[in-house]
Amino acid sequence: MAPLSTMSRALARSAMKQATTVRTISSTPAVLGSSSTFSSPFKGESKSTKVPDFSKYIAGKSSGNALFSYFMVGTLGAISAAGAKSTIQEFLVNMSASADVLAMAKVEVDLAAIPEGKNVIVKWRGKPVFIRHRTAAEIEEANNVNVSSLRDPQADGDRVKNPEWLVMLGVCTHLGCVPIGEAGEYGGWFCPCHGSHYDISGRIRKGPAPLNLEIPTYDFGEGDKLVIG
Amino acid sequence: MSTAYNVLFRRNYTMLGAVFAGAFAFNLGYDSLMTKIWDNNNKGRQWKDIRHKYVEEE
Repeated sequence: MAPLSTMSRALARSAMKQATTVRTISSTPAVLGSSSTFSSPFKGESKSTKVPDFSKYIAGKSSGNALFSYFMVGTLGAISAAGAKSTIQEFLVNMSASADVLAMAKVEVDLAAIPEGKNVIVKWRGKPVFIRHRTAAEIEEANNVNVSSLRDPQADGDRVKNPEWLVMLGVCTHLGCVPIGEAGEYGGWFCPCHGSHYDISGRIRKGPAPLNLEIPTYDFGEGDKLVIG
Repeated sequence: MSTAYNVLFRRNYTMLGAVFAGAFAFNLGYDSLMTKIWDNNNKGRQWKDIRHKYVEEE
């Protein structure tokens, strides 16, 4: 019984050795000769199974290739970045007001028609705008207020471009009513809805409103023109 | 290795800087080229071409 088992083991070992040698033959690299050198272990191979010689196509030095590929990567990256930037920009520009809308959003007022000590209300972008031609006494009164005692501290000089002309949005900062001119305890504006008193500079002095009346962007044009917007 | 490779592409931050600078330059050039083509296609039809007929000197 013993010799039979040793013989079978020896047989198996030799078979395995043969298998490994076969495998090493089949995996030898095929670049030994200059011509097609992949020698198949199989009989009856056809010409199409031969691996051709690629040595002609191997790059001589790789620096030019690296430069070219980095150049292409960088160029395509730059074009993509420019495209992404202008895509976002065009979407944002699309949302902004167009030139015809901006042209309609301005209001011109002839100041020569407003006598001293009078209010004028004009409509601008759907909201009333108060324009008051203030007298010298009113300007002095506005300047004599102790700014630090105000709820929304703001000097009169910061609210007007020309102290003679007070231009402000006629919307109460409390809940958006339109205040009444030349009324209230401070000689300025009075909001009838909840009783906010504004002084002659449009600053909140008494009542529930938290802020002074808003000042729109405006400019004094040529002559007696006032351009709001 | 060429100097362009060594200066621009060897370090990542120089590569990125070169890419963004290139994107900026490309954007300017492309925009002006396209504007030129557009103006050329619409010659005589835009407001800036006919403005002098309607607006007197200010």
